[in-house]
Amino acid sequence: MRQQESASEETHPDLLDLGARASATAGNPFASRPCARCNVSIDSYRFLDFASRQVMKAWAAREHADRIPFTPLAKPLGDCTVALLSTAAVARNDDHPFDQAHERRDPWWGDPSYRVIPLGTTESDARLYHLHIDPRFGQADLDVVLPMRRLSELAHKGVVGRAAPRHYSIMGYILEPDVLVNETAPAIAERMHADGVDAAALVPA
Amino acid sequence: MIPDLTRAVGVPRLAAISYPLSRPLGNPHDADGQRAVLRAMLEVLTKATEPDTYVELPFVWPDSPTKARNESKDVPPSPIVELVMRKPWLLANLYSGRIPQREEHRYPSCL
Repeated sequence: MRQQESASEETHPDLLDLGARASATAGNPFASRPCARCNVSIDSYRFLDFASRQVMKAWAAREHADRIPFTPLAKPLGDCTVALLSTAAVARNDDHPFDQAHERRDPWWGDPSYRVIPLGTTESDARLYHLHIDPRFGQADLDVVLPMRRLSELAHKGVVGRAAPRHYSIMGYILEPDVLVNETAPAIAERMHADGVDAAALVPA
Repeated sequence: MIPDLTRAVGVPRLAAISYPLSRPLGNPHDADGQRAVLRAMLEVLTKATEPDTYVELPFVWPDSPTKARNESKDVPPSPIVELVMRKPWLLANLYSGRIPQREEHRYPSCL
């Protein structure tokens, strides 16, 4: 309990003020949701070159989420087993690489498979196969894209209950997500269930 | 990162951060910075009460976007970016969702 209290003390004061945001929009008939887009100030395209920016905008424009799932956290974060999922196409050196050759032949295609990354895997045990990012940062320090060591430290401090024994990676460029949604994601979820995972943190790269 | 895209695909909770692609947690070997980002991201789990929760994390990238871009300028463009640089009209396919399904449809001039 004491650990959780100190955890909330250390949280940045500007962070997560969702209650204030909700009450500020409560009387506004146009604010259907407390997290409406008017609260968006981050420029998604700030760090991208011109061509990448056009592709990303086009991609975002064609995505439409019909129904967004939501499962409330069932217990305090300090009791939760947490797993990570990186979209940086991380594969262990003793596992199959992500398929870069197919994407080079067919730029509209992206490898929809996943890899298991056991806790304790480091940058010397794995490679990044994502063709849309600079892999050298994650290659130099895997925690840049898949922060397993940082998660273990937070578990040690009691911020989270436990780092899951297994973490995951997919490759983040998938325009047609049928296989990802219908095969890959359920398979990952099933493995997480088997490991007693309470919460998954998805880390785009 | 690209919260526009992450939000568009419909995640239950989104912790947005203004960091460059490839470095979502921060720079290599900046353990304190990475831990702070991960922790702030996980805190969203405890505060969110409904789907499509959007939170902007208050971290500021230490360098200019130009410097961040230049650090990766020797990385070749991705295959799709390289393709639309050569054939910009194909960008319309992305917007419209007309993703070519077969190689021969994609490059009719090769037939």
